[in-house]
Amino acid sequence: MVSINFKLTDIGRIEVPLEKRKTLATVLQQCAAQAGIELGGIIAIRAGRVLKESDLVEDLDEIDIFPAISGG
Amino acid sequence: MFSILRINTATCETKTEVFDSTDFLLGGRTLSSRLVSREVPASCDPFGRKNKLFFCNGVLSGTIVSSSDRLSIGGKSPLTGGIKESNAGGIVGVRMAQHGLRCIALEDAPKNDAVWKIVVIGKEQTEFVDGEFLAGKGVYEKSELLSQRFGVKAGCVTIGPTAEKLLYATGLACSDPHGVCSRYAGRGGLGAVMASKKIIALVILNDGEVKPEFKDPDAFKVGTKRIVQLLKENPVSSLFTKYGTAAMVDICQALKVLPTQNFRHGVMEGAEKINAQSMYDTIKERGGEGQTQHACMHPCAIQCSNVYSDKDGKLLCSPVEYETMALMGSNLCLKDLDAIATLNRIANDAGVDTLDVGAAIGVAMEAGLAEFGDTEAAIALMKEVKDVTPLGRILASGCKVAAKVLGVRHAPHVLGQAIPAYEPRGTKGMAMTYLSTPMGADHTFGFTLRDEEEPTSKEGKVALSKKFQVIGSRMDAMGMCNFVRYSVRNDMMPLLDLVRFRYGVDINGEEFDNIVKETLRIEHQFNTDAGITALDYRFSETFYEEAQPETGEVMDITDEESAQARKW
Repeated sequence: MVSINFKLTDIGRIEVPLEKRKTLATVLQQCAAQAGIELGGIIAIRAGRVLKESDLVEDLDEIDIFPAISGG
Repeated sequence: MFSILRINTATCETKTEVFDSTDFLLGGRTLSSRLVSREVPASCDPFGRKNKLFFCNGVLSGTIVSSSDRLSIGGKSPLTGGIKESNAGGIVGVRMAQHGLRCIALEDAPKNDAVWKIVVIGKEQTEFVDGEFLAGKGVYEKSELLSQRFGVKAGCVTIGPTAEKLLYATGLACSDPHGVCSRYAGRGGLGAVMASKKIIALVILNDGEVKPEFKDPDAFKVGTKRIVQLLKENPVSSLFTKYGTAAMVDICQALKVLPTQNFRHGVMEGAEKINAQSMYDTIKERGGEGQTQHACMHPCAIQCSNVYSDKDGKLLCSPVEYETMALMGSNLCLKDLDAIATLNRIANDAGVDTLDVGAAIGVAMEAGLAEFGDTEAAIALMKEVKDVTPLGRILASGCKVAAKVLGVRHAPHVLGQAIPAYEPRGTKGMAMTYLSTPMGADHTFGFTLRDEEEPTSKEGKVALSKKFQVIGSRMDAMGMCNFVRYSVRNDMMPLLDLVRFRYGVDINGEEFDNIVKETLRIEHQFNTDAGITALDYRFSETFYEEAQPETGEVMDITDEESAQARKW
């Protein structure tokens, strides 16, 4: 199970079952489908490091997803 | 045809000229930077007779298009010594449009012993009114007095007591829709430039009668609705509506680029106490005058602004934005939203840029004038600024001057302008942008953070920064709010279609980007002519020598690399 925590949104935490390693992009698509949402631009962070969409995600990972916005 | 009202501040003469060129059509930074480039000698004294101050509205100003009334103000900056464009929301742009004005130029300067004047622009005439009664007062009091005299719906631009003393980190305060001069074109010291012309306020009366005309009114209405629809559909802009820019606190903390302890760190323990959720919850719990969403201009479908209330529900400060929360919060190790809002309010009243003075207070704390995290001491320093004491004058001159006077090497600035709220060693894309803007360190100039796959690496960041320098400059180029870019993303046509429906002028996306790039070239050329060299586009040496503890990164961008990012 991978825990995807959507920060600063009403989506909250989504847990995605994962039998084998998958790219972040694939897992996020799965999340979006599960929650019925459009993701838009995001910043993904695992253990303090930024994840690329091509990075592999594995079982028990905890990933924070932030909306990609900018300051004023 | 588009009008420019030229106001000679020495002779009190005025004249109106009309133009139909593309730069006057687009307005905004496209126009202000070209006028500065053409009419201000790059080597002039920013406080001398040869500097000018240009106030430009944008191509869709005065219409019902969301967020289209940004006011772009240009001149030579006393803070950086180079070209400056600083922009603000509020109602001044629309008041100009109602008088048929694309630009107001303040020119020349009277002798030192001249008295303060207010320039009042009405449908019958432009006149100079005695402004001595405003001298020495804070911006909030000035704002109230201006409203009493000229009406709450007049579009006013005024300065604080710090600008009256020609201090470098002073801004121009512009009327919001409630008649309060709280929308700041804060960066670059343009408040002091207006003061050098002995103009204490510029007022555009609410008696303009010019209505916008359209080549194709029906298509314009449809196109306007399309922009609102795009904004509402975009998850990012809808998020702004709830949290505003404060959402960046958590993001920067997670990325380890939240400026902390005078830019010594990128993470602050307890940052959640000042994050967007805390702010949202506090405003909601307190009720009263507080608002979690608020428009700085009408109409605006984003409403990213806020009204922060005190414990009794009374307005404390509006707006409180992320950059201020970082520079006057985490950068000073303050974990108290009330304290940040109080600092922000005093800064607004003093007429200073919250970023430059926040950074200067950080420098003062590093110099030992106060302890990091000491809320009362931070507020006391800010009051020194408001009272224009000798120490206050140093702080109101920005962090570069403060660091020199106070003996601090780690001065967070580029070209004399404080680094905004993204610690550069942890985000090399933002660092590249800071090093390549002609304005001094400026986050809006090319916001790379959301698209950096490896923020700590400088690889590919020249190209990334340049890409976002164009994207970031598009909205400025036509006087739109920067956040409208979330509606159009990479396709400018929904906005350029509106230009066509209004004026019958076709500009395609490529042509528009070429105008944007030409603006960048012009701005850099001005700086070169002003004597700014490649050696000036650097961080303080400590950023290259000392690693940021949380990322282990030092600044490793070379002069050659930043020069590439400035080449257009």
